[in-house]
Amino acid sequence: MSGKSFFVDLTKCTACRGCQVACKQWKKLPGEKTRNTGSHQNPPDLSDVTLRVVRFSEKEIGGKMHWFFLPDQCRHCLDAPCKSGATLPDSIIVDPDTGAVIYNEKTAKESAEAIRSSCPYNIPRVNKKTKVISKCDMCNDRVKAGKLPACVQSCPTGTMNFGDRDAMLALAKKALAEAKAKYPDAQLVDEESVRVIFLTQDKPGLYAKNLMADAGPTGPRLYTRQEALASLARPFRAFLG
Amino acid sequence: MTNHWIDLKNSDCILIMGSNAAENHPISFKWVTKAQEKGAKVIHVDPRFTRTSAKSDIYAPLRSGSDIAFLGGLINYILSNDLAFKEYVLNATNASFIVGSDFDFKDGMFSGFDEATHKYDKSKWKFALDEKGVPQRDMTLQNPRCVYQLLKKHYSRYSVKNAVDMTGTPEDKLLEVYKTYAATNKPDRAGTVMYAMGWTQHTVGVQNIRSMSIVQMLLGNMGVAGGGVNALRGESNVQGSTDQALLFHIIPGYMPTPTTAQPAIADYLKLVAPVSNDPKSMNWKKHYPKYAVSLIKSFYKNAEPAVGYDWMPKLDAGQNASWLVLFDEMLKGKFKGFFAWGMNPAVSGANSNKTREGLTKLDWLVNVNIFDNETGSFWQGPGMDPKKIKTEVFMLPCSVSVEKEGSITNSGRWMQWRQQGPKPLGDSRPDGEIMFELAQKVRELYKKEGGVFPEPVLGLNWEDMGGEHGFDVHKTAKLINGYYLKDVEVKQPDGSMKVFKAGTQVAAFPALRDDGSTCSGNWIYCGSYVDSDPAKGNRSAKRSKEQTPAQAAVGLFPNWSWSWPVNRRVIYNRASVDATGKPYAPQKPILAWNGKGWDIDVVDGGGNPGTVHPFIMQQHGMAALYGPGLNDGPFPEYYEPLDCPVSEHPYSKVLHNPTALTFKGEKRAVCDPRFPFVCTTYRVTEHWQTGLMTRYQPWLLEAEPQMFCEMSEELAQLRGIKNGEKVWLENERGKLWAIAIVTKRFKPFIVQGNIVHEVGIPWHFGWRFPKDGGDSANLLSPSVGDPNTGIPETKAFMVNVSKAKKA
Amino acid sequence: MKLSRRGFLKLSAAAALSTAFGGIGFALKPAALDRIAMLKPDWSKQTTTACCYCAVGCGLIVNTALSGAKRAINIEGDPDHPINEGALCAKGASIYQLAEGTPGQPNPRLQKVMYRKPYGTKWEAKSWDWALERIAKNIKRDRDATFVTKNAKGQTVNRCDGLASVGSAAMDNEECWAYQAFLRSLGLVYIEHQARI
Repeated sequence: MSGKSFFVDLTKCTACRGCQVACKQWKKLPGEKTRNTGSHQNPPDLSDVTLRVVRFSEKEIGGKMHWFFLPDQCRHCLDAPCKSGATLPDSIIVDPDTGAVIYNEKTAKESAEAIRSSCPYNIPRVNKKTKVISKCDMCNDRVKAGKLPACVQSCPTGTMNFGDRDAMLALAKKALAEAKAKYPDAQLVDEESVRVIFLTQDKPGLYAKNLMADAGPTGPRLYTRQEALASLARPFRAFLG
Repeated sequence: MTNHWIDLKNSDCILIMGSNAAENHPISFKWVTKAQEKGAKVIHVDPRFTRTSAKSDIYAPLRSGSDIAFLGGLINYILSNDLAFKEYVLNATNASFIVGSDFDFKDGMFSGFDEATHKYDKSKWKFALDEKGVPQRDMTLQNPRCVYQLLKKHYSRYSVKNAVDMTGTPEDKLLEVYKTYAATNKPDRAGTVMYAMGWTQHTVGVQNIRSMSIVQMLLGNMGVAGGGVNALRGESNVQGSTDQALLFHIIPGYMPTPTTAQPAIADYLKLVAPVSNDPKSMNWKKHYPKYAVSLIKSFYKNAEPAVGYDWMPKLDAGQNASWLVLFDEMLKGKFKGFFAWGMNPAVSGANSNKTREGLTKLDWLVNVNIFDNETGSFWQGPGMDPKKIKTEVFMLPCSVSVEKEGSITNSGRWMQWRQQGPKPLGDSRPDGEIMFELAQKVRELYKKEGGVFPEPVLGLNWEDMGGEHGFDVHKTAKLINGYYLKDVEVKQPDGSMKVFKAGTQVAAFPALRDDGSTCSGNWIYCGSYVDSDPAKGNRSAKRSKEQTPAQAAVGLFPNWSWSWPVNRRVIYNRASVDATGKPYAPQKPILAWNGKGWDIDVVDGGGNPGTVHPFIMQQHGMAALYGPGLNDGPFPEYYEPLDCPVSEHPYSKVLHNPTALTFKGEKRAVCDPRFPFVCTTYRVTEHWQTGLMTRYQPWLLEAEPQMFCEMSEELAQLRGIKNGEKVWLENERGKLWAIAIVTKRFKPFIVQGNIVHEVGIPWHFGWRFPKDGGDSANLLSPSVGDPNTGIPETKAFMVNVSKAKKA
Repeated sequence: MKLSRRGFLKLSAAAALSTAFGGIGFALKPAALDRIAMLKPDWSKQTTTACCYCAVGCGLIVNTALSGAKRAINIEGDPDHPINEGALCAKGASIYQLAEGTPGQPNPRLQKVMYRKPYGTKWEAKSWDWALERIAKNIKRDRDATFVTKNAKGQTVNRCDGLASVGSAAMDNEECWAYQAFLRSLGLVYIEHQARI
C-alpha cells in the first residue's frame, strides 16, 4: 500500500483561488483581517487558519513577463521531517491508508516551534494565543469517504490531481514529458520524497523560496536540507513498518 | 454566446480580448485548458498582463479604447493577404450583396449624418434590390459596390503602422496575433473569441464586437464547433434577465418595445415581421406576429390581443429610456418613485456622484437586496446630509440563490433549474414572493379605489404566476413556455388532425399562433416546460448525460438542462456544413446530413441541405459583414474614447464617435494635462460586480481587502509612488483613494510616438462596507455611452494619479 | 460510523461556532468522520443549484441540516455537472458564507424590513405588511399622478412617467418575467438593469 498523493501541475494553475476558499469552506475556517500591501497574494502567508495559500510571483525573464502561481500546502512527506521535531511517538500520526501526515490533540503538547522549524517547506503555523500548530490534513476525512480533498475537487484546470501514489507519479511523469515541449526547464519537485508533487514550468525558486525543500538552515531549524532529504529518502515501507 | 462553455475545448485558436476569462470566468479555463492541451493557441490582448495572460501562448498589450485599430488591422490583414474562407463568405455572408448608391463614406463619416440631431439617416445605407425585392448579388465579388469590395476599401486604411501607432501594441506581437488567428481560415479549423465588458463598455462598444464578427465571418468561424462570437456574460442570470426583457427597448423574446409609431396592433405586427422574397431565406422573424400575439395573451389572457396591445405602454418614437438617460432624468426630478431591485446603482452606475445625487431627488426608493448597500443607504453616504434628504427608503431583504427554486440561463443559453436548499433566512423572502404580494396590494387598491387607467393593472395575468399561497415559480415557468388557451386542431405531417386541448403546454414555438389561441410569455423559451407535470415537462431540470458518441465528441450534452432556442446548443450551426450537408470540420462535426435528416445538434432552420441560407434570423439569410441597422454605421470605424490622451488619429479627422450618447454638462478630458493617464476598470476573481455579494464574505475579503490601483513601475517612479502606498485618483467627476500595486504587468504604451501611461482599478468597493475598503471606481467614470446600446464608457477615461500625503 | 442525533446536534453546533479548534490542524479522527456523516441523508438534505455569480453556470451541491436551525452546512461543486465537473472558483466556493455568514458571528445579511422616513437619520425595522402596504399606496398615488395616456403630440402612450426601475440579473427567469410584466402593467417604460451597464 503506497497511499495517496497529489500531483499539482503548476503549468495549469490560474490562481483562481478556488482551492484556497474550498479548503476554508470544508473546514469552516475563519477569514483573516488583511490589508492590501501592494500584492494580490492575500492572506500574505499561511497561518493557523489559512492552511493553503496561493502564492503569486512576478518575474520578467529575458524581456518576457511571467506570473507564477503556487497553491502552497503541506507536502505530506513520505518520511515527515516534522516528526523529528516531536517528542511523543504519536503526536504526529501518519494515516497508514492514505499516508496523510496528521497533527492531533497530542501535537499541542509538543514544542510548536520545534515542529515548525523542522519543516523543509516552512508549512506549519502556530496560533499565537493557543500555541496550537496547524497545517493541511489532506482532507483525510473526505479521502477516507471516497471523496477528493476539497482543494482538488474545486480545481478547474487540472492543476490539482489526487489519487493512488503510483497513479499520481505516473501522471506526473507523463505531464512532465508533455510540459518539456513548451517549457524546457520544467521539472518535478522532490517527487520521490513527498506526497504533493509539483510540476513547475521553470526553476522552482521563481515561484517561492520554499517550493523546493529548504536549501539550508535559514533560521532556528533542526534540519538542513541535506539532513531533511536524507531523512526523506528512507524507504517509505520501512517507515510504516 | 453563440456557442457554449464546453465547446471552447473544440477550438484551434482562442482569442481572449476585452475579457479576462481566467479571473472573471475562472471555470471557462477548464475548457480553454483542454483546448490548449490539444494544441490550440490561446491569445490574450489586454492593457494589462493578467492571470489570463499568464496562461496564454501569446500576450499582446493594447491601450484601452483602441480595439478597432487592432481588429480593423486584422480585417485588412485577412483581406489584403487573400485569407478569407471564400466558399463560406460567398454562401453564408452578405459579401456578394450590392449596396445602394446612397451609401458613402468620407473621412470618418458615413452618408446621411444630420448635424443637428447627431444621428444618421439609415435609409441611405440600404442594399440595391432586384425587381423581386431581393438584394442584388455579384457572386464574383468584383463589383466595386458589393459588400466585399466596400469592406476591402474601408479597411485599406487600417494598416499595421496605424494599428501600432494607436494601440501601442508592439508590431511583432500584433503580427504574431494576426498570423496565428488568421490561420483558422481553413475549413476544418475554428477560432473563437471570448469577450466581455472590455469590448462593450465603450462609445464604440457595439462596433468593437462587430469588428470581430466580421473577422469570424471572413474566416468561416461562425456556427461551427470551437468558433462563434462568445460574450462571457457576467451575472448568473443576465442572459435570462435580458431574454425576459428587463430593458426599456425590448419586450420578452427580443421584440421591440411598442412606440407611438405603432399605435395599433396591426402596425406593430407589421413592424416586427420583415419580408423576404428570396425563397432560400427563412427570414424567421416573419413568424414574430405569432410570438407577439402569444406574448400579449400571456400578459392579458382575458383581453382581445388588440386591447392587450393598447394596454402596453408606448415609448415616444425614437425615445431613449436607457440607464444613463434614466439617471439623468432622475437628477432632473422626473421620477417620484424608484425601484433598485437586486441592484446597487450607487456603485455600479457610471459617474457615481451623479447617480447618488439623483437618488436624493426621489420621493421614495424601494431597495431590495441581500445586504444593506450603498444605494439603500445613500442618504448617509459621503457628502450627504440626511436631514436635507427627502427620499423615503424601503430596504427589503431578499433570499439568496440557494434558498429558492427557479431557473437561470447561463452565458451559453443553458436554462438550469435550481432547487431550494435552506428556507429563507430571517424575514428575507424570495424576490418573486415580494413582487407578487406587492402587486396584489396594488391591485387591491385599484379594485377598492379605482384610479387612472386601471385595466392593465387589474387585467395582468397574475393567476398564472401564483395563487393563494403566493408566487408560484412552476406556474410562471409554464406561462413563459406557453399553453393553449382554446382547443386547437392542427394538421399533422401525415395529414391527420390532432386536437390540442385548452390548458395543454405548447411543445415548441413553431406551434404558437397569432389568433389568440395560444399564450407564451417568451417564444424563445417555448419548449422549456412542455408538460404540466414538472417531472415530465420541466426540461431545465434535466440531468442526464446520455448522448451519442458524436455529441459526446464535441461535448454537446443535449439531455442536461435545456438550451434556447429549441435545445440548439450552437446557434447558426447550419453554417458548419456545405451545400450537401457535409461538415466542413469532419473531425468535430456539430451537424451532419444523413440522407434523411440532420444528426448531432438541432439544426438551425430545418429543410434539406443547400435549400436554406444559414443565418435564419437575418432577413436575407446571410451573416452581416455589412450591417446597415446600427446607429453608427454599417462598418466599424475607428474613434477615440470621449476621454482620451490624443488629439487626432490617422483614420480620419473625426476624433470621437459622432453619434455617441452624451449629456449636457458632461466634461471631456482630451489631452488635458490635468488628467494625463488612461484609466480602465475591471474585476478580480474574488469579488463580483459592486462587491455587495462578496465584500461581506471574509473568505473573499481577505484575498482582496481594499481598493487598489495597478500601475507600471515607470509611472510609479514618475509620481514618486512606492508599491503598497496610498494614492489618489481624480478627474472632473470625482476623487478616489486606492492602494498602489506597482507592477511589471503594466507597461507604458507608445502611442503616436509618445509615452502614454495607463492605470487600472477594480470597481468592487463601496463606502458602506468594509470601512477601510475604499469606494466605487465609478466615481471617476463618465456618463457617456454607446449610440446603439447606451452602455457607459467605463473602460477608458482619463485621470490623474498622485501619492497621498498622509498614509 | 452511525451518529446519534444528539451527537449530530452537537456537531452542528460545533460547526456553527468558531471554537479554539474549529477543525483546524486538529484532524481529530471522530470529528473528521463526523463532517462526512453530516452529509448523509439521515442528517441533511441534498439539493442542487447553479452558482449565483458569473454566467458560466457551475453546478453546486447544497447540504441542509434536517434538524436544528435547518441551515446549509456545506456547499461545494457538483462533480456530475458537465460544465464545472465539481470545480469552483473562489466566489463559487464561498456561497456557503454568502448564505450563512461566519460561524459564531451574526450573519451580516438583511433579515428585517428596514425603513428610513423622509429626512430621517436612521433605519427602523418594520413588518412586511406595513412596508408593502405603504409602497403599494406610493405606487398608486404616483402612478395616478404621473400617468400619461397621450403625449404632447396627442399620440396614445398609456404610460407612467413618474416611476422607474433597475434590476435584476440576480433574479430567476420566472421572477424576471413576473417583474417586467408587473412594471409594464403599471405603465413603466424606464425599465433597466445590469445588462445595460
